[in-house]
Amino acid sequence: MKSQIQVLILTTIVSLSSIVIAQPKLSVDFGMGVYQPTLSGFDDNTGVPFPTKSIFNRNLLMNWGIHKEIFSNFRMGYNSFTSFEIGELSLVNSEAVFYRSIRYRFFPIETYFRWRPRIELNFTLSPIWGRAKISVDTSPGDKSDDWNQLLNSFGDSDPMSGMGSTDAMRTDWIGFSGMIGGRYYLSSRLGFDFKMGFMNNSYSSSVDFIKNIGYSKDQWRLENSKVKGPDLKIDDLPIFSFKVIFGLR
Amino acid sequence: MKIIISIFISLSCLFPQDSIQVTLNPCDDPLLELAGSLGIKSIPIKDIPRFKKMMKACDDQGGDKIIEQIIFQDWQRDYKKAKVMQAWTSTFSICVAIIYVYFMAGLILSS
Repeated sequence: MKSQIQVLILTTIVSLSSIVIAQPKLSVDFGMGVYQPTLSGFDDNTGVPFPTKSIFNRNLLMNWGIHKEIFSNFRMGYNSFTSFEIGELSLVNSEAVFYRSIRYRFFPIETYFRWRPRIELNFTLSPIWGRAKISVDTSPGDKSDDWNQLLNSFGDSDPMSGMGSTDAMRTDWIGFSGMIGGRYYLSSRLGFDFKMGFMNNSYSSSVDFIKNIGYSKDQWRLENSKVKGPDLKIDDLPIFSFKVIFGLR
Repeated sequence: MKIIISIFISLSCLFPQDSIQVTLNPCDDPLLELAGSLGIKSIPIKDIPRFKKMMKACDDQGGDKIIEQIIFQDWQRDYKKAKVMQAWTSTFSICVAIIYVYFMAGLILSS
């Protein structure tokens, strides 16, 4: 009986060790995404002349990510899709440098299978933590006036009286995304990945659960105070992504 | 005593030990063996240039079959491991596909 227990323990250790030392797969990816939000807070703004919209600052998203294969046919990771805009703003007191970013942080849960030795089909569902940031570099003496002009153009009424040396207004929200895609492996480490799907970012509503976790133009933060931000339509968006994958291990 | 030591040093300088000329077969390189047994992805990133060099050297020395076998086994290993979905992953994939179709249908109908 004693020897049977020992055999059982040894067998268990050997069988578990094959799982523990199984080859881990860690990959990084770089690429871009395409989507079409409606940033009416910038495009239809009559108070401040924002930089002209183009495909680069509206539709293109820079993308990088890291994924870990947890077990067969399943990987998890982090993916960051970022839309940038940079330009000059002609404010009353100064010519300010304007910078805007909208970052969609995906936490993908991805399942996949290999249809052919080089071709993979994958299915991804991702919670999203979104963050938008606007910063304006103005002349130090006119900061409050310049920021107030910008915020008033979003519908606020002179909310700022004093500003710090580095100022940026931010807001966060959550959302989710679903994508279906394919991957073509050039070698066992290198591949191209194409995905298409949708991205649905939530909006604040009267429902308590999502009251403060969806996007709201009234929930922007600047210098620890709530200010009004631009109108953004970022729900129900089709999205396409193209990435180059490199397997590290 | 000094003379003996001087002679010994002089002789050791004049007739140094021959360096051992070992000609290793690149096809027997441990990196190629590792790639053959555990897969190409098991090779550390820092060793990739050396691995490529060894593959080329092995290929040049007539080991093209060995290289082909390593690459073929690597593809087959990944393919066999991932061609059938395991456990709940197939259910998850179907759920994603349903959500995707539901969203796209809604988008088309609403527009």
